[in-house]
Amino acid sequence: MTAMEIDTEKNLQRKQSTYQSLDETFEIQNETYRGQQYSQIYFVRLHIMRTMLYSLVTHWKPHIPVCTILGLEEGKECIIVGTLYKHMKLKPCILDEYSKERSAVPLVKLHNFMHPDDHLVLEDESGRVKLGGTMLSPSAYVTGVVVALHGKETSAGDFLVLDVLEAGLAPQIDRQLKSKEDRYVVFVSGVNVGSSTSNPLQFQLLVDHITGHLGDEKEQGIAAEIVHVVIAGNSVEIPPGLLNGQNLASKDQSRLSEPVQELDILLTQIAAGVSVDIMPGSSDPANFSLPQQPLSRWLFPGSRVYNTFRSCTNPHCFELDGVRFLGTSGQNIDDLKKYSEARDELEFMERTLKWRHLAPTTPNTLGCYPFTDRDPFLIESCPHVYFVGNQDKYGTRILKGSEGQLVRLISIPKFCDTGIAVVLNLRNLECHTLSFGTQISA
Amino acid sequence: MATASSNMKGFYRQRKSGITKPTSTKSKKSSLHREATLGSDITQPSALISHGSPDLKDDYDKHEELLRQFDMNMAYGPCLGMSRLARWDRAQGLGLNPPKEIEGLLKGEKVQSACLWDGHI
Repeated sequence: MTAMEIDTEKNLQRKQSTYQSLDETFEIQNETYRGQQYSQIYFVRLHIMRTMLYSLVTHWKPHIPVCTILGLEEGKECIIVGTLYKHMKLKPCILDEYSKERSAVPLVKLHNFMHPDDHLVLEDESGRVKLGGTMLSPSAYVTGVVVALHGKETSAGDFLVLDVLEAGLAPQIDRQLKSKEDRYVVFVSGVNVGSSTSNPLQFQLLVDHITGHLGDEKEQGIAAEIVHVVIAGNSVEIPPGLLNGQNLASKDQSRLSEPVQELDILLTQIAAGVSVDIMPGSSDPANFSLPQQPLSRWLFPGSRVYNTFRSCTNPHCFELDGVRFLGTSGQNIDDLKKYSEARDELEFMERTLKWRHLAPTTPNTLGCYPFTDRDPFLIESCPHVYFVGNQDKYGTRILKGSEGQLVRLISIPKFCDTGIAVVLNLRNLECHTLSFGTQISA
Repeated sequence: MATASSNMKGFYRQRKSGITKPTSTKSKKSSLHREATLGSDITQPSALISHGSPDLKDDYDKHEELLRQFDMNMAYGPCLGMSRLARWDRAQGLGLNPPKEIEGLLKGEKVQSACLWDGHI
């Protein structure tokens, strides 16, 4: 009895932050499909990016004329702007299945589809030209990126690239420093409830930490400074083999819904204490193509009743105390890994920011809705925090732009494999990990 | 095996013959062409007729002519898969300054809202 009184006296107050959702651009609401193809999205992308690149070109190389690809003249130096297309020998093609000849390309699964013979082609409305020279390395670029190139046409009809201009980081809104207090945001992805490799205790420990049920007063004090939780995709794993196009037996129906029910119980615990955003990922019961629409709230009968629970789109954009966040559940970076090379995941992330496009490989190799009037993945305003879920390992870095932009890049590892969640301090954008282990060492 | 495949062939030939008559098309086409040059009113080879009406109708008016010019202007982007007004709005939104009279036509007059190629591709 006395012990309980002591507990109730020491009541820790959780800190609050103002939240603003900016998911509107990723929502598909009044679109109707009228048989449009993907030419529309490429047109809008090229037009918007080209207008922006033309304004940069005047500062970059003011003395060199700008022309279209059709207007190229042999030997004359000029600047052209267009969409890159990467010709890849090993890229799987749907027509391969129907070709009569046996292809020379081996059908082995490599770690990606890169080949030394890959080359880049630049396209605009007027035409396309093969790119040569050593300035532009095909391994770093993918189809769908819009760049400005300085060079000249060779006698062979190729375009010899002398210099490359990427869009660079988009303008950034000022980050207001409202307080000197620490406020934390927790990122977790790849929880995979229901998978054979996931450990229910691990996620329960994370939930208990967030809600302040773990540790001593000091640790609870830290937990009270957590103002927001983001779950970046792949929260459940539906048992493979269940969905094979056959009718489900009634005993299998419960197996299908169990992972979601279990997730709901855990989310309810979080939502009761702190605001939580859940984004759909590639393994979640949401649509396949980007932008993925919010998971139905009716999947979560327990958490649904809390206004702290938000089902969001993927990609997801929001502002917390004036700090802008942008992130995905990882599909955009996973696709770049297949078609290009970089040192680590952070470098891929850095490139997407510099290309000002979240997912340049849409619609080429990554599924996407055929928008006609916009390209929702263009990054018009640079975020302060850019996160990507479901990556192989944790990584973080500060990226600085030419106009003083400052971006915190975070690659969030899969929680079920690593037991790692990422914590960001809103005050100074510093990052650390929370690591949960359940092994009892002898 | 051999009998089975010949049966299949027979089956497919049956289906095909009702629709195309592959042996007669060549002569028919050339005769059509000759007729057209001789001033006949058959200007359409059968291949260009889709959805039961000829592709190139002559009876469109001045407004439709203007709108078709707008459809075919590549500066405003691809036209297939969206309404003419949506395409005009997009061009306006992207700062391409599409002609005002087109907007007036699309909003005021009774004109076809779908683009030139709608339903033909």
